Parts: sequence; structure tokens; C-alpha cells
Amino acid sequence: MNQFGVLLKKEWREHVRNYKILWLPAVFVLFGIIEPVTQYFLPQIIESAGNLPEGAVFEFPTPEPEQVLVSVMGQYQFIGLIILILAYMGAVAGERRSGTATLLYVRPLSYPAYFLSKWVMAVSAGLASVWLGFLGAAYYIWLFFGDIAAGDFLQFAASYSLWIILFLTIVLTASAALPHQGLAAAVAMALVFAAQILDSLLGVYWTASPLKLPAYAQSWLAGAPDAGDFWWSSVLAVLLTLLFIGLGIWLSKRNAAQTKV
Amino acid sequence: MSDLTIVLALLPVLIIQFGLMIFALVDLIRNPRTVGPKWLWGIIIVIGNIIGPVLYFIFGRRNY
Repeated sequence: MNQFGVLLKKEWREHVRNYKILWLPAVFVLFGIIEPVTQYFLPQIIESAGNLPEGAVFEFPTPEPEQVLVSVMGQYQFIGLIILILAYMGAVAGERRSGTATLLYVRPLSYPAYFLSKWVMAVSAGLASVWLGFLGAAYYIWLFFGDIAAGDFLQFAASYSLWIILFLTIVLTASAALPHQGLAAAVAMALVFAAQILDSLLGVYWTASPLKLPAYAQSWLAGAPDAGDFWWSSVLAVLLTLLFIGLGIWLSKRNAAQTKV
Repeated sequence: MSDLTIVLALLPVLIIQFGLMIFALVDLIRNPRTVGPKWLWGIIIVIGNIIGPVLYFIFGRRNY
């Protein structure tokens, strides 16, 4: 078997043994279905929480199905991203510190195969979790609020997937670049959140940006985003992903000497 | 909407959440060497309803 296949098998086995293959989808599905459930039962929840003056009346507008799906994405954009960072911050850095990497690096290792095996496994697990979460959410939204057109849903989830792929690539590259997994997590988080703030403050001056992909994903649910903006952002996201993969391969080779024996 | 439908709707949420918790607790009990004291992880898993088991899987087990 070729090296990539062997390394991918190792990654798969690792995901099974530390149960990442179980808890990562479970958490995303949980966050995906909690959102529609709480939105649906919000009047009852507020009622039972009490502290309301006698005779207080609230009118809750029932949210549109699409709005609920967008707020699920909002959950993923915050808690989901943090969980993905925590799950993959140690992908390369943790391996170097624990000594697993020593066993690999003493062999004639192909670094592209090494980094790509991690990338393929992380992206597959991440995307499977996000899609399962969205599907679970869509089922509950259909149950409580009404249906979302299947085509809209697919375009929405596919656009969001591009952003998740780019995000996971950045996390893996940070893990290859830095000596400690905590440092990798902090740098990846700081980088992405700083870029998000910059994009939301100054983003009015440009329309093509990978950071705007979640927003464009959202507009698939209500018609379509501006075709040019959307495709340019997607192209940029793919190019940045390729750039970070290249950087990650180079860094995991350059930093191989940091391994603890 | 009747109480029964509410319970049925919440059932999958409860199953996944408690499944995750019990899975983490069983692993904690069987784990010979955790990072940090076991009783503390037990509390974290039970109290921090969704995040607790995740934190244990990431930080509590010696994954490598």
C-alpha cells in the first residue's frame, strides 16, 4: 500500500481510539437540534422560568424555517468552530510532543502524504459532523416550523462547507507551525476571529472574501447571493485552502526537528 | 401541543446528551491514567452537560 493510504489508516484508527469519530458528530447534531427545539418551546420556557408580572402577555412571532437554520449556523460559527479547533489543535503539534512523531519521522516519510492524510481525515470528520448537524436541524425545523426547499438547503450547506474546509486547513497548518497545541489553538483562534472582526468592520469595501461565505450561504435560503461575489469568494476560499495546505506541508517538514524523543 | 409530543421531541436530545455523558463516565472509570484527578473529571462530565464530556475526551484522556 502506498504511504498516503497507510497514514490515512493510522489517522482513522486514531479517530476511532480517541472516540473523536463518535463525539464530534454527536456534539454537532446536539447543537443542531437544540436550537429549533428551544426556539419552538421559547414561550413555555419563559413561562416556566417565572419572574413574570401577573398578566404579562408576550407575542412571539413564529420564526421562519430559514431563520432557524441560520441560527443553527450561528451556533456553529461560535461553539462549533471552537470545538473544531480543540479537536484538531494537536493534530501535528501534539504528535510531536508525545513522541508518536518520532516513530514516523525516523522513516523515509513523505511529508505531503503525512500532512494530507491528516487533512483528509479532519475535513471528512468535520464535514460529516456539520452535515449531520444541519440534517438533524432540518428535520426538527420541518417538524416544528415548516419545510425548507431541498435545493436551497444543499446550496446553503455546500457553501458553508467551503468555509469549514478552509477553517480546518488553517487549524492544521497552525498545528504544524507551532511547537505546542495550546499555542496552535490560540493562534488559529486569534487569526480567524481577528480576520472576522476586520471583515465585518471594513468588509463593506470588498465583496469577495472567504469570511463572507457563511453570509452568502445564508442568502441561498432567501433567493440567491450575488453570483459574482459568491463565486469570487469561493475561488478565494479554495485558493487559500491550497495555499495553507502547501504551507502546512512545508512547515511540518521544517519543524520536524522539534520532536521530543 | 400536548406534553407527550414535547417529551417525544426532547427524547433524541436527551438520548445523545446522556449517551455522551455515560460513554465518557465509563471511559473515565476504565481509564488507568487520566490527566489530573479522576473525581474532578467525574464532576466536570456530569455538571458541564454537553461541553463536559468533550473537555474530558480532549484534555482528560492521554490520547497519544
